Amino acid sequence: MEEREGGFRKETVERLLRLHFRDGRTRVNGDALLLMAELLKVFVREAAARAARQAQAEDLEKVDIEHVEKVLPQLLLDF
Amino acid sequence: GSEAAGGEQRELLIQRLRAAVHYTTGCLCQDVAEDKGVLFSKQTVAAISEITFRQCENFARDLEMFARHAKRSTITSEDVKLLARRSNSLLKYITQKSDELASSNME
Repeated sequence: MEEREGGFRKETVERLLRLHFRDGRTRVNGDALLLMAELLKVFVREAAARAARQAQAEDLEKVDIEHVEKVLPQLLLDF
Repeated sequence: GSEAAGGEQRELLIQRLRAAVHYTTGCLCQDVAEDKGVLFSKQTVAAISEITFRQCENFARDLEMFARHAKRSTITSEDVKLLARRSNSLLKYITQKSDELASSNME
């Protein structure tokens, strides 16, 4: 699996996760990092797509914070 | 003292990571904007970025717990699949990616 444009870098993902580990021995293997990069990409795209759909349901072309706020609860439940 | 320096280092790291997440969020929002024919306000991109950054804390802690539960200190694909369990389509997608990785690893 290549790292695609507009995705999270493996190194970034590793640091993001390691920031919150409670145990100093915890590591993440390469495949898990790549999968987490994909998962985070899906998370962002879902947030954006759902907010966009919300704005469009309100007949708007510009997506604003309130559209994100409306879709956030379900988004978090789905992840 | 060195504790203060450690705290500063961590703050700097957090800033850099926030910026990295914000950059990638911007790119991905741009893709979605083109797909759907909408515009995202700057505040919207910032909000999605911040939410994503914060969600990483939950992900990291869950992954660590899953690995620990399996008596491992290294987080693997299996742990990530557990993380993706709440949505059928997400789980299917992650499992598919995991299978692709596994087969390319065998080559």
